[in-house]
Amino acid sequence: MPKLILNKIYPYLLIAPAVFFVIAVSLYPTLYTFYLSLHRFRRGQFEFFELRNFEIILGSATFWNSLRLTFAFGVFFLILVIGGGLLLALVFNRKLGGTSAYMTIIFIPWMISEVVAGIMWRWMFLPNVGILQNALGPLLGSAEREYLFLADGNGALGVVIAATFWRALAFATLLLLAGLQTIPSELGEAAAIDGANRWQQFRLVTWPLLLPTTQVTIVFMSIQSINAIGMFLSITRGGPGRATEVLSLQMYREALEFNNWGYAGALAVVMFVINAALAFVYVRSLNAQHAFD
Amino acid sequence: MITPKAKRQPSRTWHWLRRHILNEAQFTHVLLILLCLVVLFPIVYTLITSLRPQGFGLSREVVSFDTLFFGHYERLLSTPRFARQILNSAINSLSGAILTTLVTAMAGYAFARLDFPGRRAIFLFIIAMMLLPGITTLIPLYRIASDLGLLDTYFVVIMVYGAYGIPFGIWIMKGFYETIPRVLEEAAWVDGASPLQALFYVIIPMSLPGLTAVFLINFVFNWNDFLTALILLRSTEMRTATVGLFDFQNQLSGNNSELLAAASILIMTPGVVIFLIARKAFLRGMIEGAVKS
Repeated sequence: MPKLILNKIYPYLLIAPAVFFVIAVSLYPTLYTFYLSLHRFRRGQFEFFELRNFEIILGSATFWNSLRLTFAFGVFFLILVIGGGLLLALVFNRKLGGTSAYMTIIFIPWMISEVVAGIMWRWMFLPNVGILQNALGPLLGSAEREYLFLADGNGALGVVIAATFWRALAFATLLLLAGLQTIPSELGEAAAIDGANRWQQFRLVTWPLLLPTTQVTIVFMSIQSINAIGMFLSITRGGPGRATEVLSLQMYREALEFNNWGYAGALAVVMFVINAALAFVYVRSLNAQHAFD
Repeated sequence: MITPKAKRQPSRTWHWLRRHILNEAQFTHVLLILLCLVVLFPIVYTLITSLRPQGFGLSREVVSFDTLFFGHYERLLSTPRFARQILNSAINSLSGAILTTLVTAMAGYAFARLDFPGRRAIFLFIIAMMLLPGITTLIPLYRIASDLGLLDTYFVVIMVYGAYGIPFGIWIMKGFYETIPRVLEEAAWVDGASPLQALFYVIIPMSLPGLTAVFLINFVFNWNDFLTALILLRSTEMRTATVGLFDFQNQLSGNNSELLAAASILIMTPGVVIFLIARKAFLRGMIEGAVKS
């Protein structure tokens, strides 16, 4: 019966466009990355280059520098955004009123493009004119020379971390608050009757139950931070020198500025492995939440 | 806010302060209001900069409020290049959002309602693959688009935008369809409607809030996109407003920060305004999109 066949293929017809897009924009380019990483681009042609790109990468100091920077950026950003998000989510969960108004305001930065945000933060730290540079620079520097944030590697990275944190705080808060709201308040109350103080209530009741949500938030934010490039381009452009050239930025430059497609491809493979590991953890923690039950 | 030990006696002043000036809830509100002001500060600073006369931009000189200067906005809006790039942003983000909405309206339904072999595996495949986008897929996409002669076209950017919104959109639509009672479709089937007719005439009209959320969230994300447009669009005429702003920042020297500030404000306005109008749909949609609630 044709109708029966139609009913069988009907679900696949509905998901076909979605699957097509995922293959065209995600799976195929990812496979292509592996091809690129095994070749080198010379005089407009790709020639087979074995695993030499990876050898070059692993032997290059700039790669290890970028990897270290990506890692440092990710760790500091995650500590800030998860810590800050958790604190805010706990405060909002106490239902003091006004939560939706506060949430709306702190969410505004997430609705602003990375470049626009980056440009705004760069201004605040420009030498001589930047309002935060002028306020903080003299405090951090010596008596005769003020500290110039964008002229120092750590300072410049700090500005990018601050800007990224500013943009992402509300999003982390929202995810964690959603997780907190699924925890019945009676559990905390019962613990309070048993004599637990607030810290004990949090550590023994809330935290274990919130752990899956926290994991999802951490992975989500890690992926964000590994792919962050707009902020770096608009605030530091990798400078001073190469002091803020994270992996994604180095890959962008090697490919589009120096036509070093093989090298960029190999970098992309390294980043793919890191991303894939994170995606795996993400899907596993979603599974742990029984998305399909 | 969190008292470490219940036994500890609050000092007398603290006790008096709490009784007569601020109780704990009020104190928390004060802190939250301060947080909101800090969060809004960079935006307000940019807004003020954009309204200062030429050459005064980031300087410390105080300009009185009677000389608020809208000239930079007038100048920008009458610049053909800026107008063209805003138009490009609008074309790309609208088309991309429409594409995402159509594709996820269908796929979300299949995942929410229909049972078919491979349902779970395909779902996880889509979610996992799309966690990898960003720079790692854009570098190979540049090569692919270049080989196909699609670089610097609306088409390629719209396809990529359409694809990027899919996992998020599928989450939201799947969650939304699950709230619609099954009885309604079954009634349509009894009346002789095919599953496809039931979807288009019964389910989709009831899902307008979900579809609107998917559309608006994706529109804002596409509007704010920087990386995709930076890599896949090469010419000034085709580039979008965010990339144009970045190019503009690189070309400008010293005294033109007012103009750049005005451009930043104009570019961030659509996203922020849409968010403020539809903030409930946004917040709910984003929770759905990242963690299954």
